[in-house]
Amino acid sequence: MDLLEIGSAVSRGPGLSKGYLKTGELPDGRPMQIPVIILRGARSGPTLWLHGCVHGNEFCGAFIIHECLRSLQAGDLAGTVVALPLLNITASERNQRMSPYEGYNGGDLNRNFPGNATGTLTQQMAHHIYDQLKRHADYLVDFHTAMTVDVHWALYANMPGIVGEKSEGMARAFGFKSTLPAPPDILAGSAMMTAAKDGVPSLIVEAGGKGHAFTDEIVADGAERLRNVMRHLEMLPGAVRDYGKLWYFSNFAWVHASRGGLFQRAVRCDDRVEVGTVLGHYYDLYGDPAGEALSPNAGIVLAIHPGPVMASGETLVHIGLDPREV
Amino acid sequence: MKKISIGTVTLAEAGVAKGMLQVGYLPEGYPMEIPVIAIRGHEPGPTVWLHGCVHGNEYCGAFIIHRLLRALDPKVLKGTVIALPVLNITGFQRNQRMSPFEGYNGGDLNRCFPGKPDGTLTEQMAYQIFRHLREHADYFVDMHTAFTADTRWALFAPRDGELGGKAEAMARAFGFANTLPTPLDILGGSALIEAAKLGIPGLIVEAGGVGAGFAPETVADAAERLQNVLRRLGMLPGAVKDHGKLTFFSNFAWCNATRGGLFRAAVKTGQRIAKGDIVGRYYDVHGDLVEEAKSPHAGIVLAIAGGPVMPNGEILVHVGLDPRAA
Repeated sequence: MDLLEIGSAVSRGPGLSKGYLKTGELPDGRPMQIPVIILRGARSGPTLWLHGCVHGNEFCGAFIIHECLRSLQAGDLAGTVVALPLLNITASERNQRMSPYEGYNGGDLNRNFPGNATGTLTQQMAHHIYDQLKRHADYLVDFHTAMTVDVHWALYANMPGIVGEKSEGMARAFGFKSTLPAPPDILAGSAMMTAAKDGVPSLIVEAGGKGHAFTDEIVADGAERLRNVMRHLEMLPGAVRDYGKLWYFSNFAWVHASRGGLFQRAVRCDDRVEVGTVLGHYYDLYGDPAGEALSPNAGIVLAIHPGPVMASGETLVHIGLDPREV
Repeated sequence: MKKISIGTVTLAEAGVAKGMLQVGYLPEGYPMEIPVIAIRGHEPGPTVWLHGCVHGNEYCGAFIIHRLLRALDPKVLKGTVIALPVLNITGFQRNQRMSPFEGYNGGDLNRCFPGKPDGTLTEQMAYQIFRHLREHADYFVDMHTAFTADTRWALFAPRDGELGGKAEAMARAFGFANTLPTPLDILGGSALIEAAKLGIPGLIVEAGGVGAGFAPETVADAAERLQNVLRRLGMLPGAVKDHGKLTFFSNFAWCNATRGGLFRAAVKTGQRIAKGDIVGRYYDVHGDLVEEAKSPHAGIVLAIAGGPVMPNGEILVHVGLDPRAA
C-alpha cells in the first residue's frame, strides 16, 4: 500500500493513524493545527473525506465523525476514511462560527475554498485544507449544524453528469428526508461546491443545532447514516438501507432578520409555511409584544432562529422551496 | 403609597410604569441602561423585587419575568412588583455571562453586590441596582439558568429565624422539588445574600439553560409558579397551590472541571448520584476517550455542564448534598 501523509498523520498500511495538519500560526507563534484521523482499510477502495466544524460552533458533526470512526475496523473497510473533525479549531475553542483571529472580512471558512496560500488567515486555512482534499478525496461529506436540535436536512452538489449522480447517491444513502439538489451557482467557496467542480461528489449534512444543541441520539443516528453512505460506496459490507422517498427542493431561501430584539420562534423544522406565516414573535425589553417575523416564502422550514435574542441581519430562517417527493 | 423613582420610572399611585435605569456608560459615551417595569396595585401590599439576566446569557429568566408581568393587572394586584429583567445588558447583547466591557477582575455581577459607586464597571452596575433594591424590596426573586434545559432547582435565604420562615414560604410556593436553604456564608456578593443580610427574604430560581437552552414550557411553568409566590404573599387572589414535600440540602458542592476537551454529560439534573459516579466523559480531538469525570460527592445533580467543548476550570457539576425530604 502507498504511503499516505496528511500533516503528521502518516499511514503506511491498513489501520488507524492520527496526527495534526497545520493550517496557520497563532499570534504567539505556535502552530494552529487541526486533528486528522486516517482509517485505512484492509482492501483497496475509494477515499471518503469527512469535514466537521468548518463553522467552529457546529460541534455535532465532530461527535458524529468520532462515533462513526470508533465503530469501524480496518478489517471491514475497503478504501480509506480521512476525517478532519475540527476544521476551524480556533473558532471551536471560542464557540464561534468564525476564528477570533480573523481580523478581516470573509471569516466564513466555508466560503473561502479553495483558499489562498498568501491570503487572509481564513483563506490560508482553506488553502492548507483544500490542498490535501484535492489530492486525496474521492468523496466528501461535510457535517454542519443549523440553529436548533430539530434540524435534519442535507444538500448535495447537483452538478451535471456523473458527479451529480454520485452526489445524489450519497444523499439518498444518508437519507435525510429534506434534501436539496443544490444548484451549482449557490454556496460558492464552500468545500462542497469547490470539490464538486473539481470532480469530487459531495454532500453537506445539517444535523442538530449550534453549541450543545444536539443529543446523543442525533450523534448515533448520524453515525449510522454515514455508515450507510459507506455501504453505498462499497466501502463497508452489508445491505444498503433504503430511506425511501425524500423531499427535494428547487432551492432554499436564506432569509435574514430585518430587525433585532428578544425573539421566540413559532415554527419547528419540517413545518410547512406559506408567504406570511408567522415564524416567530418579537418582544421589547419590557416584555411587550413588538411584532412578528413573517415568512417571505412558501415551503418547508429547514432551520429557524430560536432566539432568545437576535440582531438584525442574523439568519432568521432557511426555507426549502417547491418541495416535491422523489 | 411610597413613591417609586427608579431611573426614568416614576410611580406614585396604582398603575404600570416602564423605563430605563442607567447603570453605566458605554465606551462611546452612550448610557448603559437597563429596563425597569413597576406594576403597582390599587390595594396596598408588599413590594416584590425581580431580577433577570444578572448573568447576561441566562435569558430564560427575562422571558419568565416578562410572561409574569403581562399577566399582572393593577386592579387585581395588592402591593407592587418591580422588575429588572435584563440586568447585565451588555452581557445579554453578547450572549456572555459577564460584560464584554469589564476589563478587570470580578466581572460576575452576582458577586459584586452591594457594589461601589466608584469601583469597576461591574461594581458600579451593582451599586446603581442595589441602591434601589434596598430602598424598595420587601421580598426578592432572582431568576437564573444553569447550563442545560432540564435545570430546575431553587435556593432561599436566609434559612433561620422569622426571616428564614418567610423565605422558605416563598420557596415552597414556588415549589421546585430541589431547594437549598442557603447559609449566609456562601454566595457572598450575590443579591440574594446581600439582600438577606439586610432583612429581605429572597429566592434564586435556576430554570433552564444558557442561551437558547430553554423551552417555552419552562417559561410558562415558572411564570405560573411566580404567581403562586405572589398568592402566598397575599398579593394575588386565589388558592395557594401546595407543591407538596420538597427535597432540601445541607449545601451544594460546586465542582470545577480539572481538565478540558470535548465533553458529553452522563447524568441529567435531578438524578441521584453516589460519590465516584461518572458524571461525564472527555474525548480528545481525535475522538478517543481520555477521562471519565467522576463526582467527588454523593447527592442530587442540580446542574451539569453542557459542553460540548470546555476548558478546565469551567463548572463541571453542581451537587446538592445530604438530600432530605422536607
